[in-house]
Amino acid sequence: MNSPPQAQAEDRAGQGEPLLAVRDLTVRFRSGGDRVRAVNGVSFEVRPGETLAVVGESGSGKSVTALSILRLLPGRNAEIGGSVRLLGEELTAASEARMREIRGDEISMIFQEPMTSLDPVMTVGRQIAEAIEVHQGLGREAAFQAAVAALDDVRVPEPARRAKQYPFQLSGGLRQRVMIAMAMSCRPKVLIADEPTTALDVTIQAQILNLMDELREKTGTAIILITHDLGVVAEMADRVAVMYAGRVVERASAEDLFARPRHPYTLGLLGSVPKLGSSLEGGAGRLQEIRGVVPSLREDIVGCAFAPRCPLATERCRREAPPLETRAPGHLSACWEAARLEAEHA
Amino acid sequence: MPETAPPPPADAGLAASREALADAPILEVEGLVKRFPLASGLFGGGGVVNAVSGVSFALARGETLGVVGESGCGKTTLGKTVMRLIEPDAGSIRLAGKDITHLPESALRAGRRDIQMVFQDPFSSLNPRMSCGAIVAEPLEIHGLAGGRDKRERVAAMFERVGLTREQMDRYPHQLSGGQRQRLGVARALALSPSVIVADEPVSALDVSVQAQVLNLLRDLQAEFRLAYLFISHDLAVVEHVAHRVAVMYLGKVVELAPKRDLFAAPLHPYTEALLASVPDPRPRPAGRRRERAILRGDVPSPVNPPSGCAFHTRCPIARPICREKVPGLLPAGEGRAVACHVRAPGGEARDAA
Repeated sequence: MNSPPQAQAEDRAGQGEPLLAVRDLTVRFRSGGDRVRAVNGVSFEVRPGETLAVVGESGSGKSVTALSILRLLPGRNAEIGGSVRLLGEELTAASEARMREIRGDEISMIFQEPMTSLDPVMTVGRQIAEAIEVHQGLGREAAFQAAVAALDDVRVPEPARRAKQYPFQLSGGLRQRVMIAMAMSCRPKVLIADEPTTALDVTIQAQILNLMDELREKTGTAIILITHDLGVVAEMADRVAVMYAGRVVERASAEDLFARPRHPYTLGLLGSVPKLGSSLEGGAGRLQEIRGVVPSLREDIVGCAFAPRCPLATERCRREAPPLETRAPGHLSACWEAARLEAEHA
Repeated sequence: MPETAPPPPADAGLAASREALADAPILEVEGLVKRFPLASGLFGGGGVVNAVSGVSFALARGETLGVVGESGCGKTTLGKTVMRLIEPDAGSIRLAGKDITHLPESALRAGRRDIQMVFQDPFSSLNPRMSCGAIVAEPLEIHGLAGGRDKRERVAAMFERVGLTREQMDRYPHQLSGGQRQRLGVARALALSPSVIVADEPVSALDVSVQAQVLNLLRDLQAEFRLAYLFISHDLAVVEHVAHRVAVMYLGKVVELAPKRDLFAAPLHPYTEALLASVPDPRPRPAGRRRERAILRGDVPSPVNPPSGCAFHTRCPIARPICREKVPGLLPAGEGRAVACHVRAPGGEARDAA
């Protein structure tokens, strides 16, 4: 029995045309004699003003997915398949010149460690101004003034003074604000944020998450938030794609995902995270474990990649990879045993 | 002859700790201070980083004291100083009633048998050129505790206990996964049957599913060996899960020390409150409704040049004029609890203003 190719109807539950649509994305790396299947048939969509969280552990393929949207992977070693469409325009087939226009202008990206993506010998004001000059054709002085305004927009105190400082003179939180100012300076349609707060302290993380929400509401920019932190997902996301071993195993609204996970991996993840307030609910017992380890992507995975660690796995799971199918309106899961899971956790 | 009662603790942190403990403490730290001088630059004086300034607490067998705080609060330096991997500038460390603060290097080795450490990054704390079995056997050899067949058996038993296999004794650290490496780090720390383990961010580098495995292991080992943990972490949810009591640090000082439930149910210090409010909560909430995040303004100030008075006053939503002028002492605030806040401590100087 063949299921329809990556159920497409489900996302219609959201409103409006997709801004960015990723379909059946695959990424393979050649390293030495090995072929690593980093991303294996990933599909999702984002709409204007929406936050989509892509959540997974290390090796799940979430960052590679993000980088391949912008075609930032080294072309020589990476084979990319599938389709990435920005307002209908196919990016996998776009010229390199066109991609340069898109990057930073229509889709921009921020990373976990701002220090490594900032130029250490250029003032932060100039770095932001440079992007504005390139993409908006402003003159040098006007671009610098726009950069100061951009720093003000991301609530950097004393923006005119900070604009003249170098990255090392700023704290981690301020550096991430600079990155966001740079990313937002050209009013992108999509902001890809790869673990934007992972390197920050919690009080600073709260500030940055707030800022991202505020900018999204003000500008209508869609956010693709790549993270391993389910707390951040719950705070920020409208919809969620859970990745495991290069595949999306579950996709749903954030509300549905947390209230009623329909994949054993998601359920396991939620159970393994200690939750604040657990001691007050008398629940500081053992954490739920997911046995074993993430599979190696160097070998071909037969069947469901999660089967070796899954308490529900059957013979079929070990033999045949389950397709991502709609289980409820707007809720997809790639699990042969989804019905059993639902019955047991209803 | 007067009875030799223990001296009354001069410090509320120690007093609150002793109150909370049923047993005699296995580890007592009093007034611990560590300063790092900064290299002086071209333009003169380098200044001093007050990494730990006057920290006191006690820890009993089978108990976990969680130490939380943001980067630069001094929690890692505290752990290393307690281990005497860093020499303290003042204060005392008593392990099983014995003062180890000034033990010379030679005597320290024997003294340290009882206190061991687990690090954040198991990879950088394990010798890559030693087999996993040799890594766990090394402390036994150094202390002359076992040799030959007996040693191999003890190591094998330890491997099994932490959830590694006998075969993995002949592997090297790079052949293990992150979670397995942390199990190895735990096995090494346990080899000498210590009473106290200082664990500095032991699960922070691990994926969540693996983090749960290691946290459960630490919990089982504590129950089995009555281990005392000084559990240092930036992650409040993890600390709430593992700790019995919690010390919250800010710029080198303990600002609140309390039994876990009290702290998480009703934080007293405004910094504790802000930390708790900042943690993203991985639980469902109704569609379209976002949680209002309580936002703490600004960054953690530099420990080189900390603010006057209460170091938190620059970010504090309830600061009073006195907070700028006078350093609040850690004051008793109920059974087993102490807080350093002019406004919130029961005996605080700006208490009336609250």
